[in-house]
Amino acid sequence: QSVSGVVVDAQNQPLPGVAVLVKGTSLGTITNVDGKFTLRDISDARTKTLVFSFIGYQKQEKEIGQATYMHVVLQESTKQMDEVVVVGYGVQKKSLITGAISSVSAKEIDNKQLTRLDDALQGLTSGVTVAQSSGAPGSAPTIRIRGITSINNSDPLYVVDGVVMNGGLEYLNPNDIASIEVLKDAASCAIYGTRASNGVVLVTTKKGKIGEPMRVNYNMQMGIQDAIKKVQLTNATQYAELRNESVMNDGSAPVFANPTSYGAGTDWQNELFSSAPYQSHSLSVSGGGDKSTYYVSLGYIAQKGIVAPSIAYDNRFSLTTNTSYKIGKYVTIGENLSYTYEKNQTGLNTNSEFGGPLSSALNLDPLTPVYVSASTVANDPNNTYASPYILQAPNGMYYGISNIVGQEMTNPLAYEQVQKGNYGWSDNMVGNAYINVNPIKGLNLRSQMNVKKAFWGNESFTPLYYLNPNNNNTNMVSQYRESDQNLTWNWDNTVSYTDQIGLHNFSIMMGMSAEKQTEDGLNVTYQGEPVTNYQDASFNFSLPTTQRIANAYDRQEYALSSYFGRLTYNYDEKYLFSGIVRRDGSSKFGTNNHYGTFPSAQIGWVITREKFFPQNTFLDNLKLRASYGVVGNDMSLNDFQYESIISGGGGSNYVFGTDGLAIGYSTTTPANPNLKWEQTSSLDAGFDAVLLKSLTVTFDYYNKKTTGMLATVQIPGFSGYTSDPWANIDDLTNKGFELEIGYNKSFGKVRLGVQGNIAYNKNTITYLGQGKQYLDGGATFQNSQYPLSRTAVGHPFNAFYGFKELGVFHSQAEIDNYKDKNGNLIQPNAKPGDFKWEDVNGDGVINSNDRTWLGDPYPHYTYGLTVNLGWRNWDFMVFGQGVWGNKIFQAYRRLDITTANYPIAALNAWTTTNSNSNYPRLSDLDPNHNFGNPSNFYLQNGAYFRIKTIQLGYTLPKPWMTAIGFQSVRVFASVSNLFTITQYTGYDPEVGGSSYGIDRGIYPQARTYMFGLNVGI
Amino acid sequence: CSDSFLNITPKGESLESNYYSNPSEAYAGLVAAYSALNTETGNTYCSPLGVANSASDDCYAGGGGPSDMSQWQAMNDMTQLTPANMPVDMWNVNFVGVKQCNLILSKINGVPGLSDADKTRYTAEAKFLRAHYYFNLVIWFGNVPLFTTPQTTDEIYAAKQATASEVYAQIEKDLTDAIPDLPVTVPSSENGRATQGAAEALLGKVYLYEKKWADAANILKDVNGDTPGGTSRFGYHLLANYGDIFNPNNKFNAESIFEIQKTGSQNYGWGNWGQYKSNVYSIMVGPRGYSQSGSNSTAPNFLSGWSFDPITPDLVNAMVQNGKYDPRYKYTIINLDSLVQAGQCSYAKSQCYAATGYFMAKYAPLLQYTSSAGTKELNFDQDYIEIRLADTYLMEAEALVMSNTNLSRAQALLDAVRARVGLPSVPVSMTAIKFERRMELATEGERYFDLVRWGDAPSVLDNMANGFSKHFVAGKNEILPIPLSELTNTQMVQNPQY
Repeated sequence: QSVSGVVVDAQNQPLPGVAVLVKGTSLGTITNVDGKFTLRDISDARTKTLVFSFIGYQKQEKEIGQATYMHVVLQESTKQMDEVVVVGYGVQKKSLITGAISSVSAKEIDNKQLTRLDDALQGLTSGVTVAQSSGAPGSAPTIRIRGITSINNSDPLYVVDGVVMNGGLEYLNPNDIASIEVLKDAASCAIYGTRASNGVVLVTTKKGKIGEPMRVNYNMQMGIQDAIKKVQLTNATQYAELRNESVMNDGSAPVFANPTSYGAGTDWQNELFSSAPYQSHSLSVSGGGDKSTYYVSLGYIAQKGIVAPSIAYDNRFSLTTNTSYKIGKYVTIGENLSYTYEKNQTGLNTNSEFGGPLSSALNLDPLTPVYVSASTVANDPNNTYASPYILQAPNGMYYGISNIVGQEMTNPLAYEQVQKGNYGWSDNMVGNAYINVNPIKGLNLRSQMNVKKAFWGNESFTPLYYLNPNNNNTNMVSQYRESDQNLTWNWDNTVSYTDQIGLHNFSIMMGMSAEKQTEDGLNVTYQGEPVTNYQDASFNFSLPTTQRIANAYDRQEYALSSYFGRLTYNYDEKYLFSGIVRRDGSSKFGTNNHYGTFPSAQIGWVITREKFFPQNTFLDNLKLRASYGVVGNDMSLNDFQYESIISGGGGSNYVFGTDGLAIGYSTTTPANPNLKWEQTSSLDAGFDAVLLKSLTVTFDYYNKKTTGMLATVQIPGFSGYTSDPWANIDDLTNKGFELEIGYNKSFGKVRLGVQGNIAYNKNTITYLGQGKQYLDGGATFQNSQYPLSRTAVGHPFNAFYGFKELGVFHSQAEIDNYKDKNGNLIQPNAKPGDFKWEDVNGDGVINSNDRTWLGDPYPHYTYGLTVNLGWRNWDFMVFGQGVWGNKIFQAYRRLDITTANYPIAALNAWTTTNSNSNYPRLSDLDPNHNFGNPSNFYLQNGAYFRIKTIQLGYTLPKPWMTAIGFQSVRVFASVSNLFTITQYTGYDPEVGGSSYGIDRGIYPQARTYMFGLNVGI
Repeated sequence: CSDSFLNITPKGESLESNYYSNPSEAYAGLVAAYSALNTETGNTYCSPLGVANSASDDCYAGGGGPSDMSQWQAMNDMTQLTPANMPVDMWNVNFVGVKQCNLILSKINGVPGLSDADKTRYTAEAKFLRAHYYFNLVIWFGNVPLFTTPQTTDEIYAAKQATASEVYAQIEKDLTDAIPDLPVTVPSSENGRATQGAAEALLGKVYLYEKKWADAANILKDVNGDTPGGTSRFGYHLLANYGDIFNPNNKFNAESIFEIQKTGSQNYGWGNWGQYKSNVYSIMVGPRGYSQSGSNSTAPNFLSGWSFDPITPDLVNAMVQNGKYDPRYKYTIINLDSLVQAGQCSYAKSQCYAATGYFMAKYAPLLQYTSSAGTKELNFDQDYIEIRLADTYLMEAEALVMSNTNLSRAQALLDAVRARVGLPSVPVSMTAIKFERRMELATEGERYFDLVRWGDAPSVLDNMANGFSKHFVAGKNEILPIPLSELTNTQMVQNPQY
């Protein structure tokens, strides 16, 4: 017997890709692009029921009977309630989830310009803040789940198919991702215990399925990236005029006699930015027989950067395979294995005001030419060019060297030349193997061994060169090679049992896990090889041992041993409960805290399933839920921080005999056997609702408290210890809410899908130690005598802190009128054009005590919006994302280089003829510290909304495809980062990384125009 | 998993719990116990000589300005001496020493393979060192916490101060325990390690400070030998030439009893802050902007220094009476202004705060005493002679005079010190001994403590030449304030009146 048919949706549109399976067998097929299917030879099947399933639609079973043709209508599962969600060591039905878990499906990230798994989280999940630390190819973004959980380390824990990642996420081909789950509340995270307080990101990769015919998919994207905007700086004439103005304000003679003679000069940014190609290819083959499944995928991503593309690139090749095989009735074995090779160059020193091509382009004077002729170098009275070490450009000329702006600022094109040939590389192997035993129904025993082996290193060559007096190598060429390796393994064993007694459903899971990490590396430098360029450099040259320098290290081992369990119970899927306990022992913990226990509980109530709840209202489903849990953070701890380490040399030495140095060894810090993980407890309350059958709403409120964050305690001198020990001291809170809304509906031939999310988070430091109101230090502002941020009780972590300018004094009269309560002048030494500083403490003088709070670098609100539109064979998608409530500190103009180029705004600086301006007068001496003080002058609103992706796709009509023998062919065109709405005047309002919210010359993200192709065979 | 899975043994790094596992690690622990002796930089520059000299009537604090080395300025003008502004390293460094001693003492008995002889000697050395550190602490601060075992963090926060007499009792016990187990002499390769003579000399000094005259005289006699001016059983005798005592080419000479060795061979740079085992005090006392006038200059060849601790007119007046120079003058004082007048050298006197024109000779930054590599300023190698024979002679004489016993020996001791520099005998008395100590030990860090224990500090320090006063307040400034940082979250009680 054979049967064929068509599967359509409620609007009678054919549904391609629906799995059609004969119940109880592995026989099956999938529908083609017209929604049609044909099953042959099903006579042997014991049951005559077909199961139709498709993501996003309710599963349907249909008796075949004697039918030979079937017309099946699948209802969209607007609730998506039958979907399962990965929760760590298992899955749960989404409708029964009681924690705060956000999911991202493959569908949502497919065909976007994604090079890393963590980029995929941006804008798609509420409560997850993603900020690029650099637009350079392959850069890792900064991810924060529900705010800054720790002042030490707030990076979430990543788990890919059960393998705990410690960095190195770039190994994963984004096309292999089946789903990402973000565990946000402590109750859900508790299953990962002491490493989970910053949130957990669970990644599941694509697998083959039992009974699924072979599918071949090829996805391709090719595009070109361009810079979105340049920072507006002065040109040569304007620059010369402003320089004159500045020194004349200081009472000196002008430096440039005839500014207009310089014309426009050099636009360093134009020289530095260029178009850069992007391409990505992914080929996968998957399927399954009645006992086995397989999935193989190949990926290749090649990308260059828009800044200095010759030294900013990232190339990646990946191979992923997984298989599973069922042995007999009860046992399944399987494996996952990924191998990735990456080669990249990232040595651009981005987001640093101390050199690197971007910082140089922003600070170099526009007077210096990019290239100079050989004769200029030859007739070099000031020895500016220090030939013979000056670099020659490919065009035969020499690179210009500024004798106006020096220090770390160098001709960025010359810098590129010096960096050429340098690269970093990595080989990542991630895999696991498992055995699953189902001896009786409901009982599942699983043992899984996970291994991550990474090799990485870098190669570089330093030629003889002269970029400027501070950055040159006129001594010896040197070649450097570094090689490191890391092995992480963990072994998880779990047993779970699920059963149903009447309306009581319960499931219990218990497990144990052990993990170990080791790492080592070495590097070697050869100095003085008889070569002049990187192509000829080789470690084969015989050099004296004094010119061969080697170093090596072993990282201390890290071990973790854990026991965990989870009980979930529900009554009639109406009253829900879930409890988790994990006990972790970590080698990083103090001897008094070798083990830590992390409990949590979650409850839920599906109120719409109550009999008393009115039926057939606008409210189709409503689940109220609450959870509370405690989790830890051992990532802030270093090895043996709880111990007193013996260190030698230096101050511990003494002198004996005839001037003989005796090496002494002793302790410098006391042991703290009580040292333990940072602890975060969080309360979460929320609801999931389905309205009008097509609108889903998820809301969460949370209150998260981190206690005992690591900080040094000042140990009294009479202890005899010279450095302060670490202890669990500081506390902070994060409070906020999250809202996710989804809407899916078809209107005739038009399909509409809208997904939106918004989250609010407020971070407050609550305790920094007895009587301690703030931490010393803060983010530095170049050579300013004040840091630009401070971490203090009652304020967000690392909030901007400095002086408040109240505009400039437009006249002497305004200075004379700026008096304290006793009638004394507050700024008697100010001149017109200087900033009027707010006398915050009202004591009549402006000093360090007048610094105040100026804003928060971290956004308070983050949001994302995706709109999908479909019409016949066309599909259209817009995805946007934004933040608000944060400030950006623009810190890239160097304070100590008074001759650095000016922002265009400086043209409006106060002068006697432009006395209404609120831009302070230019001055190299800066006696009023208009520029030297960190102040609100440098702060700008960091809010933005960005159209991240806009995509138009077309699926080829069937007759065309049949002609070429393909299942489906879709072509699309898209633009990434089409536009950004922001008031920020720098390159990019997204400033992540270690100096979050401080723009020291960030590598901006590119706009990419892309063409793509998806082919299914 | 068992605990053994989690108990990771560190590689290439030692923990207190598993160190001290062989004789060389025990020795390294002992070296660390010595290391606090010559710590020259901590919170700031912390030569104990600088602090004591700045407080005495031999020197002003000097430097580059009134706030240069404010801790030394506070010793120079005690109205500035507060818990927040005081030489905090006199507290910190000595406690580091105490901690290192207690640590090695707690470990020494469990070191596998360490010979009994070494164990006995190391123990004695650590006890000697602990006594030395506590003696410094008790004379500077009076009321200090007393630890004889390593302390946990909790114990540190719970610790209370002991009385001075409790501390003295422990010092006496440590020294008494140590003396029999210390070597009488050490080979030159072990120069700088504690000897029996050093421990006896220190114990004699301790007794003297406690006014235990008989005990002091008794033990110092053993150090000094039966015949003043002769050679003692330890081999000590006065050097014929006074100037030879301080010459770095003559380290560990026969007059040196307890010497803190400095090295010039470590090529230190500014990045080694906190690690210097060189003499950093030398550069501090040198004149600013100094240069010799030509290669034939008869002026000394100094490296330009920072003009701290200029010699006061008081000391000059004491050494030059009625136009007659004490024979030790030229080894003690450099009259730089006269050399400038003679056209032999120049220096930036206007940049030298509280300049007197007189500079310290004993530790002056002679270029020949610094190494060729590293930052020159940081690699002078002149030792501090903590206790020398002329000192123990005068201490014994003082003990005898104060107890009015064996005055003839007291006279002989005083005569021997004077005779060595060619001075005639004067009748022994406390006045004579006080004067002789000042002449003999000028700028060696003894004067201030002598004045305090004699009770002369207020009358002398507040009535200096040209109307200068160090504002020493009797009943208060005999001891320093407890540093402010030590009072937070601890049981420390501030010293009276601070």
